[in-house]
Amino acid sequence: MNQWEVFVMDLAELPEGTELELSVRTLNPGLKKYTYQRVKAELSNSLDKFPDRLQVRFGRGQLCNQQFSIRIIEQVQRMPAKYL
Amino acid sequence: MAKISAPKNNREFIEACVKSGDAVRIKQEVDWDNEAGAIVRRVCELGEAAPFMENIKDYPGFSYFGAPLSTYRRMAISLGMDPASTLPQIGAEYLKRTNSEPIEPIVIDRRDAPCKENVLLGADADLTKLPVPLVHDGDGGRYVGTWHAVITKHPVRGDVNWGMYRQMMWDGRTMSGAVFPFSDLGKALSEYYLPRGEGCPFATAIGLSPLAAMAACAPSPIPEPELCGMLSGEAVRLVKCETNDLEVPADAEIIIEGMILPDYKVEEGPFGEYTGYRTSPRDFRVTFRVDAITYRNNATMTISNMGVPQDEGQLLRSFSLGLELEKLLKSQGIPVTGVYMHPRSTHHMMIVGVKPTYAGIAMQIAQLAFGSKLGPWFHMVMVVDDQTDIFNWDEVYHAFCTRCNPERGIHVFKNTTGTALYPHATPHDRKYSIGSQVLFDCLWPVDWDKTNDVPTLVSFKKVYPQDIQDKVTNSWTDYGFKPVK
Repeated sequence: MNQWEVFVMDLAELPEGTELELSVRTLNPGLKKYTYQRVKAELSNSLDKFPDRLQVRFGRGQLCNQQFSIRIIEQVQRMPAKYL
Repeated sequence: MAKISAPKNNREFIEACVKSGDAVRIKQEVDWDNEAGAIVRRVCELGEAAPFMENIKDYPGFSYFGAPLSTYRRMAISLGMDPASTLPQIGAEYLKRTNSEPIEPIVIDRRDAPCKENVLLGADADLTKLPVPLVHDGDGGRYVGTWHAVITKHPVRGDVNWGMYRQMMWDGRTMSGAVFPFSDLGKALSEYYLPRGEGCPFATAIGLSPLAAMAACAPSPIPEPELCGMLSGEAVRLVKCETNDLEVPADAEIIIEGMILPDYKVEEGPFGEYTGYRTSPRDFRVTFRVDAITYRNNATMTISNMGVPQDEGQLLRSFSLGLELEKLLKSQGIPVTGVYMHPRSTHHMMIVGVKPTYAGIAMQIAQLAFGSKLGPWFHMVMVVDDQTDIFNWDEVYHAFCTRCNPERGIHVFKNTTGTALYPHATPHDRKYSIGSQVLFDCLWPVDWDKTNDVPTLVSFKKVYPQDIQDKVTNSWTDYGFKPVK
């Protein structure tokens, strides 16, 4: 199971049952911990629904009590190709 | 000027601090994930010796040096002075050196530059190969730059800028940073690069000599490489970057080179800030793409952990803002007797001592202070007379509470320039760097009769004749009191 984290201003930014585009960071141990990816994903309040776990923080770093399960559908590359 | 014997690089500085008891070597393994940050934060809050952490989890061969300039003792060491020097002595030395002749930097061959001992280019220039710490739990990311210089050059004027703009690791090749629109880099981006859609070359230097860091932090009109030379008494050694034409301090521990992107942004923040809060919102900010990393063998990454007082952000900015304002006011012929920012004000309150020789002098001081390049960094100016010790908060506070007339002495300046970091600002004002500022005029009005209208200060030193003061002082222990330190 992979652990992810997302920053939001409001939990309303994380609706269930719809495809979302998010900046998530990995919480998996290792050198890449806390690095970000832009992804398309689906979330659920049910922690058993999807394979990975999503932790949420608010805009000033406060940890949210509620966790989600998450399915990363695909990585999205928004950076223009000329910089890659 | 007498020969200056200041540490020439970060390593000499660490050794000097260890020798004087102002740094401790930590041999046990320290985790880059929160633990190192927590150590540095506690050091700042306790005013402890700076931690030199020599064994970083996952990153053999690297080390951390935390809270490098969070005490006046370490600031004195950085200037090559006695660690026991007083703040007025350190300030006088800063003014003397920064009023001397500029010392141009020299450019050395890359083979002689320690920062070129290891070179990573292109895809190999992966920031996760560096021990980038998570400084505070809940920060938006691992912060590469907390005590460093982001080096850029104005494309038209050619001005070199070393600025301490915080930088967060987004991924292995990308950083995002807070660059205020009124800063030198912010202006260069908005005036030149962004309208043209051109990338801005940058280099981030980490593990600078303490005086290079001091120069990067100082809001001085003198270009930072020259200012650093003036502070250290000798030319700074620079070396050309691997992937652009910028020149960087050759003795820095780590150099990150790349391009500020004109047309793409990623999120930055939140981050624990020098105000003691996380205030500025997480937002899409200036984005840095990394092309190269060079570093010394056994490189030491410097960490500043900003939060409640006192850390070097507060201490050094207070120090340099106050002294740079003193220079500005004196250049305008204002009879200031001193300028001081207490670090615990998180460099928000400027205290100015002045001989109140004419009407409106406090207002003139405030207008110059708020209207200068320094102005966005503080929002309070308190003007006291030359009989008040500006370094003694008890005296300043007494003057404020007794002499500042609520109707006549408080003047609010609206719609000025602020920063996103002001905790008291509205979310809207933070977003657009809109500020407001206030003058506390604690001077007796010049049109009050000095004999009959101006109250007389009642204190031991002001009320009693000198012979009585001497008798009481000299007999103090005979009376049965403990000696006064």
